[in-house]
Amino acid sequence: MTSRPATGGPTTGEPATNGPTAAGPTTTRPTASGPMMVLGIDAGSRSLPEAEHVLRTVARALGLPGGTVGCTHFVPAGLAGDEPHIACSLAVPGPVPPPADVSWASGGERDGPRAEGAATAAAEHAARRGGRVVTFPGHDLLTGTMSVAAIRDGSAIERVLVLASPGPPGDDTLVVTNDHVRPVWRDGLMTLLTMPAAGGRITPAEVPDPTPCCADHT
Amino acid sequence: MGHGHHHQHHDHSHEPLGEGEAAPARDLTIPDEDLSPAQLSRRRMFRRAGLLGAGLTAAGVLGTQAEAATATPGGREPKDGYLWLAGDHHIHTQHSGDGIYRVIDQVRHGNAYGLGWVVITDHGGATHAKIGVDKVNPDIVAAREAIKDTLVFQGLEWNIPAAEHGTVFVAPGRREVETLKEFENSFDGSVKGAGANTPQNEALAIAGLNFLAESVRKRRIPDALFLANHPARKGLDSPHEIRGWRDAQPSIAVGMEGAPGHQAAGMPKPHGPGGGRGYYDGGPGADSFPGYPAESYKTFGGFDWMTATVGGLWDSLLAEGKPWWITANSDSHTVYGDTSERGPGSDFDANGRYEDPVYGGVPNTGAGDFWPGYYSRTHVGSRTFSYEALMDGLRAGRVWVDHGGLISGLVVRAGTDGHGRRGVTLGETLHVRRGDRVELTMEITLAGRPNWAQFVPTLARVDVIQGDVTGPASDKDAFTTPNTKVVQSYEVGKSSGTVTLTYRLGRVDRPVYVRLRGTDGRRSAPGLLGAEVDPHGPQIDVHGDADPWNDLWFYSNPIWILPRR
Repeated sequence: MTSRPATGGPTTGEPATNGPTAAGPTTTRPTASGPMMVLGIDAGSRSLPEAEHVLRTVARALGLPGGTVGCTHFVPAGLAGDEPHIACSLAVPGPVPPPADVSWASGGERDGPRAEGAATAAAEHAARRGGRVVTFPGHDLLTGTMSVAAIRDGSAIERVLVLASPGPPGDDTLVVTNDHVRPVWRDGLMTLLTMPAAGGRITPAEVPDPTPCCADHT
Repeated sequence: MGHGHHHQHHDHSHEPLGEGEAAPARDLTIPDEDLSPAQLSRRRMFRRAGLLGAGLTAAGVLGTQAEAATATPGGREPKDGYLWLAGDHHIHTQHSGDGIYRVIDQVRHGNAYGLGWVVITDHGGATHAKIGVDKVNPDIVAAREAIKDTLVFQGLEWNIPAAEHGTVFVAPGRREVETLKEFENSFDGSVKGAGANTPQNEALAIAGLNFLAESVRKRRIPDALFLANHPARKGLDSPHEIRGWRDAQPSIAVGMEGAPGHQAAGMPKPHGPGGGRGYYDGGPGADSFPGYPAESYKTFGGFDWMTATVGGLWDSLLAEGKPWWITANSDSHTVYGDTSERGPGSDFDANGRYEDPVYGGVPNTGAGDFWPGYYSRTHVGSRTFSYEALMDGLRAGRVWVDHGGLISGLVVRAGTDGHGRRGVTLGETLHVRRGDRVELTMEITLAGRPNWAQFVPTLARVDVIQGDVTGPASDKDAFTTPNTKVVQSYEVGKSSGTVTLTYRLGRVDRPVYVRLRGTDGRRSAPGLLGAEVDPHGPQIDVHGDADPWNDLWFYSNPIWILPRR
C-alpha cells in the first residue's frame, strides 16, 4: 500500500478484483451492495470498549445493517485533542445525516472539535491501511471453535495469520474464537491475527477480556 | 569455583564510606572540592579504574572491585570476587489494591527460596500515597530485623507517567519514607492523572527521575534506582521513552524486566489460570506506541519481546554502548495454588491495606504468580552483603537472570587471549588495543539439585550473542539493530557439575558487545528477525498452555569490548 493523504484523493481498488470504484473522497472498494462511503466518528474514547460502544450506538442510530464494516482507529495525541484516543469508522451506503454528539467526517464534510480524528479514521478505513474491525459481514457467525477455512468462507475476513510464525495456518487449523473476533486491516486485507493456543489450535491475538494493569486474582 | 583474587585496581587507600557517602563520589555534577576526603579518594579510585565519564559506557557503568566480598550470614560464598545474591525487585503485599500477603510473608518465602535481596513494591496510587507508603515501612523494618540474611528494600511500583509500571526503590535511611512519599505524590501517573501518552506526561516521568537523582545528590536518601517493569506488556513504553529515562538519569534508570512476573499465568485450565504467560494477553490501546508489532504484546520463552528478540529493542539499546540491564522477578501478588484468602472485614480505601490473610482452604488455581525466588531470580554480583553494595552491583550490570533454577552459577570474563579470566565481568567494558585477540570465558555451575518443582533442570544449550556498538541511535524510536546475532552455540546437555566454555572473538577492530543466553532446549524456534540472526530462539508462548517449568532460559547482561582508536 502506498500511503494516502488523510483526506481527499480518490482511492483506487486494492486487489485486482476490485475494479474501478466511484471516485471521490474516502470512497472504499465496493462490497456486495456497491460503492460505499466511510463515515469517521470521533468521541474521544480512551478505551476500546468505550469506542466500540460509540460505534454501535451510531450504527444503530443510522439504521445500518449488522454486517456493516465498522472499525476502531488509534488517534495520536495532538491530532484531535490533547490525549491519544480512539476514533471509529463505518462504511455507509452513501451520504448519511450527521451523527449526534460526536465529531464526524464523511466525504469532504466534517464537523466537531475532533473532526480531524474522524477524518483520519475514515481515511485509514477507506484505504484499508489501518484500523481494527469490530463489525463486518459474518462477524456474528464467528463463535465457538471453527476452522480457518470456515472463518474465511463464512465472513469478510480474507486472511488468517499466526504471530511469530513464518507461514499462514493450514485451512483445517482450528481457531478458538472466544466469540470475540477483531480482525485488522493489514496489506489491504481484512486479516485475523492469531496466536498459538492449547491443543495445537490457534486463537485470536486479541482476547475478550485482557488483564487490566492491576488485576485482582485473589 | 571462584578465582580467589582480584584483577583490577584494588585500592587500599580509601577509607570506608558509610551509607549515602559514596554516591557523590560518582556524581560528576559535584565538583571535587565539594567532596569529603574519603569521597574524593573514592572518586580518584574510580577515575584510575577508568570508571568515570570514560568511553562509550559512561555514566552508569560503575563496576567496582575495591573490596573483597566476604561470606554472608546466609553462608553464601563469594565467587569471582563477588557475592552473587539472587533477588527480586517486584513484590506486592496487602498494601496493594490487588495484593493480599503481609510483608513478612513475602520476605520469609523469598528467604526460604534462597533470595538475598527483595524489594517491596506496592502500587503507587492515591490510597498508597496517603496511607500505605507509611504503613508498610514498619513492616519492612521488622522484616529486616526478623530475616537477617535477606536485604529488604522499600520501594514502590511507580505508575510511570505516559508509560508502564516501574520499580523505584531506595537504600534504607532516615528519610526513605518521606522521599518515596513525596516522589509518589508528585510523579505517580495514577496520583497525578498522568497516564495518557502525551509529551507533558512523558516530561513528568523525566522530572520524577530527576527528583530521585537530586534526592541522592543532596544525600536525602543514600541511593535510588529505577527499573521498567513488564515493558512490552501493553506497548506503553515506547523506545524513545526508554532512551529518555536512561539518558536523563543513567545512574538511576538502569534497566528493565527482561522477563515479567506472573509466570504461572499460562498454566492450563482447569488447574491453572489458562491465560497468557506473564499475563501478557493484551494488545494495542490508545496509549501504545504505534510502531510496535502485534507479537510484541506476547512473551517468548517467558521473556518480554524487547529482550527475547535477538537484534531487537534491548540489543538496539546495547548497540548504543550505553548501559541498560535486564532483570527477572515474580511480580508476586497472589500465588498459584496458595490457600490464602484476603482477611475478612478489609477496607483497603480506609486503611491503606487489607487485613492479614487467612487460611481459605481452597487452592487458588486462578492465580498466576509464584513466591519470590520460587521461579524467577535476578542474580547480582555484590561486593558485600549490604544495601549499598547490592544497589551498586545492580547499577553496574553485574547481573544475570534465570527461570526455574536452570543453572546455579555463572561467571563470565572477557579478556585478551590467554588472559580471559583476568579481564572484565558482566556489565563492564574491556579496553583493548585495536586488533587484540579477545576471548570470553564462561564458567557455568549447573543446577546440581532439584528446583522448587522438584526436578533437576538440564542445560541443553548456551548461545553467545554478539553485536556491534554503533553509537547513539539517530532514531530514538529504533527497536532493531542490524549487526547483532547469535555467533556461537554450545550443546551442553548436563544438569550437574561445572562447564567451562571459551568463545574466541578473534581480533577485535571495532566496538562490540557480547551477552549470553541458555536454555533447557525444550521449546525453540527461529528468532523473530530470522534464523540467520537467531536459529534457535525462544518460541512464542502458547496462550492457555504454557507450563513455565517446561521452558527454562537464562540470560546474562552484556560485556562491552572497546578497542582504542
